[in-house]
This record gives sequence, C-alpha cells and structure tokens, in this order.
Amino acid sequence: MILYYDINYDIILILYPIIEIAIILLILVMNMDLQLASFITAGILAIVGLYGVFFVDNVLKKIIALSALGNGVNLTLIAIGYKAGGIVPIKMPSMEFTMFATKAVYPLPQALVLTNIVIEASMLAIMLALSIVFYKKYKTLKASIILKED
Amino acid sequence: MVKIMNLLPLIVVYPLIMAIIFNYIYKSKVIRILALLMALSLIILPFLGSYGTYFFGAHGMESGLISGIAYIFNPAKQIIIFTLMLIGSLVLITGIGEKRVNGLFVSLLLMGLASVSAVVLADDLFNIYVFYEIVAIVQTGLVIASGTEKAYKSAFRYMIMGNMAGSLLLLGIAFLLSATGTLNISDMHNYLANNPATPTIYGGLLMLIIGLCYGSGLPPFHTVKADIYARAKPFVASMLQTYSKAILVAIMLVILKLFGGLSYFNTAHGALIALSIFGMVFGVVMALLQSDYKKLLSYHAISQVGYVAAGLAIGTPLGIVAGIFHAINNFIYKSALFLGAHIVSQKKSSNLAKLGGLLPIMPTVAFMILCAKLAISGVPPFNGFQSKLLLAEAAMNVNMPELAIIMILVSVGTFVSMMKAFYLIFLKPCSEEQIKEYKTTKVSKYSIFSLAVLTILCILLGIYPDIVINQITPYANEIGRIWTL
Repeated sequence: MILYYDINYDIILILYPIIEIAIILLILVMNMDLQLASFITAGILAIVGLYGVFFVDNVLKKIIALSALGNGVNLTLIAIGYKAGGIVPIKMPSMEFTMFATKAVYPLPQALVLTNIVIEASMLAIMLALSIVFYKKYKTLKASIILKED
Repeated sequence: MVKIMNLLPLIVVYPLIMAIIFNYIYKSKVIRILALLMALSLIILPFLGSYGTYFFGAHGMESGLISGIAYIFNPAKQIIIFTLMLIGSLVLITGIGEKRVNGLFVSLLLMGLASVSAVVLADDLFNIYVFYEIVAIVQTGLVIASGTEKAYKSAFRYMIMGNMAGSLLLLGIAFLLSATGTLNISDMHNYLANNPATPTIYGGLLMLIIGLCYGSGLPPFHTVKADIYARAKPFVASMLQTYSKAILVAIMLVILKLFGGLSYFNTAHGALIALSIFGMVFGVVMALLQSDYKKLLSYHAISQVGYVAAGLAIGTPLGIVAGIFHAINNFIYKSALFLGAHIVSQKKSSNLAKLGGLLPIMPTVAFMILCAKLAISGVPPFNGFQSKLLLAEAAMNVNMPELAIIMILVSVGTFVSMMKAFYLIFLKPCSEEQIKEYKTTKVSKYSIFSLAVLTILCILLGIYPDIVINQITPYANEIGRIWTL
C-alpha cells in the first residue's frame, strides 16, 4: 500500500483550527448541543488523521496524524457516554438505586477510552523509537525516502 | 452451566505472568531451561478448564444483563487453542536451538499466545479489542527482534496500518455500543435479532470487517502482512501467521454470531466472500512471481487466509466446520513450511537462485518439507486435502460452484509454485564447492524435531480428520445458518 504522496497538505491543517474555533463559538454563542459538537469535532479529528496518515510525507507528522485519529475515536466514545447533568457512576451506600440508575453516566465508554489511551501510548512509543532509528540512518524524516519499497 | 471459578483463566494468565518473568532474565542458559519447561507446560493448559460460560469481575449476571469479562469455552475453541499452544511450544523449542536466545523474544511470544487465546475465548468486544491490539504490538515486536533494517521498515509500515485499523475497529465497537448499549456478544446478538437495524449498526459492521481484514491480512492489508512474514526470521514467521489466522477465526466467528441470519447481513456475506477470493488469488499470483523462498511462503500464507475466510464467510454449518478445520490444518502445515525455510536458510540463504542440490545432504528434511508442500496444495492423504474438499463441498452446497472452481484453480497455482520451490532448493544441480559448503554448516536438531512433529500431525489429520471435525461440529451447528443462493 502506498503510504506517501507529495501533495500540498497545509490547507487542511489550517482549516482544522478554524473549524474548531467555529464549533467552540457555536457552543458558546448559539448554545449548540454539547454531544453534537463533540461528534462533529471527533469526525473532523478522524478525517484529519486519516488524511495525514495517507498524504503527509513526513514520518513524525504521520504519527501525529495517527494520534489525532485515535483522539477522534476517543472523543466519539466519550460523547456516546455523555449525559446532561449526569453523575459519576460510583454507587455510594447512601444513594437510592433508582436515582443512581437514572442519573449516573454509562461507565463502559470511559473504561474503553482509558484502555485505548494506554494501548495507543505504547504503540506510538514503538513508532517514535523506530523513527529515531530511521532518522539516525537517513538524516531525514521524509516517508518517501524512509519507507521506500525495495 | 455458569461456573464461578475454574482453572480456565490460566490459559491467559499463565503465559502473561511468565512473559513478565522472562523479561528480566538475561542468562541464556537459564532462559533455555525455562523455555523448555514452558514449552512442555503450554500444551497442558487447554485441558485444565471445563466447558461452559465463565464470568469474571465484580457483578456477574444482574437482571439478565452480563457485566464483567465473559469467556466461552467449548470443544471447538479448545482444539484451536491446543493447536496454537502446540505450535507456540514448537517454535519455543526451535528458538532454544538458536545461537543467541533472548528473553525478550520468549516474552513476546508468550504474550502473543496469551492474547490470541484471550481473543479466541472472549465473549465481549472489550476484551477482543484489547487483546487484538496487544497481538498487533507483539507481532511488530517479533519482527523488530530480527534486527535488520528492512524489518524495521516493514514493522513501521505495519504499525501505521495497525494503529489506523485498530482505531477504526474501536470506532466500530463504539458504534455498536451506542446502538445496543452493551459489549457482551450474546446480549448484543439478542438485541440485534429483536430490533430493527440502524445506520449505526451498519457502520459498526463495516468497521468490524476492517479490523478483521487487518488482523488476518485479507486485502487491502495483504501487502503489509506478507511483508512482515517475509522480514521476520522464518521460524518466527510461522508463529506470526498462526496468530493472524487464529485472530481471523475468532473475529469472523464473532461477526457470524452477531449478525448471522439477519436480513441485512447478506450484503456483508457477499463482501466477505469477495475479500477472501481477492486474498486467495492475489496471494497465489504474487507467490508465483517471487524469487525469495520466505516471500513465496508469506504470500502463500495470505492465499491460505483467503481459503479460511471463504469457508467461514459462507456461514453454513459445513462452511464453518471447513473454515475452522482448514485454519487448524493451516497452522500445522504452514508452520512446517516456515520451519523448513528456517532450516534451509540456515544452510545457505533463502534466495532461491543461490540454492540447489540439497536433497543428498538432508533427505529426511526434504521429505518432511515435501509432505508439507503436498499438504498445502491439497494432495491426499494429507490434511490440506481433507479441509479443501470440505471447503469445496460447502461452496457447492450454497450453489456457488464458481467459488469451488476458484479454490481448485488456486490450489493448482499453489502446487505449481511449491513444486518450483522444491526443485530449486533440493533437486537443481549444484557445484562441488557448494556441496562442501553445505556440509560444513550445521542445522540445529531442535528445528528438525519441531518439523517432524508437525509433519506427523499433517499425515495424522489427513488420515483421521474426524479427530478435529467431531470437536468443531456442535459449535458450527450453533452458529451457522443454512441458506442457498
């Protein structure tokens, strides 16, 4: 599979913060639904990540793009578990069960996110270590040189 | 039916703990002895637990909904895990015979065994996702351990793809979680069967299939997968391909269990069968072009993944039996072939142009490799023949003679390239100097022992396929749906 293309990638990297700021403004000014806003942000993050993985010709930027993709997925999970006015899903002895069951947020997505953060950290660590090795050898981070098929 | 505690978790826990211990051992003599003990004890593990459904965690079952880790153990899973552990221990034994033994290598291998067993056993998507990612990391680590620069490159490529596919798989799991509210596969199946489908569920299914493709090496991920098999040391590659195929079987069974029999799954059936056909054909066509023995074998591994996926994607009880049986046969003969490549490359190299005339030097090894080659091409009386026959029968039973024809054609291609490799390695005439060089290099006896065990299994399962088929059939009847085109 081709992992490198020489295409101007700056447009999306400039557009991304602008869209983010627009969403923040929408939330603050227009009172946009927080869950919807997070889904949109997650979608943008995932698209930027996928774009970066395929079209950016730099190993380090590819890794950053991968972490953006992972964060998009994490945000999706968090947004799924979101509940307006929810409480922490820990049942205290004093709490009534029905009150707890209706108010507490769903803890499973959060558990998944925590696990994913750990896994992603280890994966990124391996990739960064490998890119250090590549940099020492080639004196460059260009993916078109480093990952060239032979 | 529900058991509170048993020795079953040892399948996952014991290799994981030993993996941590091996990480801190540096003396190679100690590693050798401990690894041998590990290899012997791994084979016993699948027989410790009794069949049934297991729950681990704080709450167990509450008002019909399951919370916590759920495992299902049945004869089919037992035989898959047994084969996995057997190949793991044979690879460990081969590793003992190497000049440099590394604690990290043993540790990674054990971690992979534990994770793949957990993926096979687990009945909830959370566990499957976590251990799926650990398998990806372990595979990368095992490739990096071979220490060449090309290995680093392919590991990096594999890692980029892996990170992406892992994220997409998690996204799919998130979709399914948001649609159904649970991650337990049995509960999720009940929900999906009784409720109308939504676009979220379609998205979840699509992402699961992407995760499956990456984990097993179906297209579009076949090149990165073949690359890591070819770059790793051959005896490690035998372990890598075993991991991939076990993951394929496990996740495919999950997909069938969740969506099998639902009206919208027909399209996915078609897509999965198409993917497996692409895998079969790409694999064998690429294998015919290769001049390096390791690369040739790696592309055949991809091609064989296509066979397993085709059997499972058909989704009838016979198809599932054929798919799992072919996966088990594949573990055995493909590992035998990779171990054979290990022995051959110890003699000289894995480049087919440089080899030749090895038959008089090691006739027994040549015979064993020939057995494995005949098994992979589906020649009776070896095990490959039995499972390929079942696969073709399953394809015919759902009125897809085209699929059966493609399988047979791909078998022919496999036979051609395997015999080409056999001629170039063993029969091609070579110079006197080369024979002298062959005689000075030694081959470790451990790898020949492992190869012999696998060859005996090839013949045994070819003559008595019922040993495995009888174990798988009840589970296949439970999951499979009968349909015709």
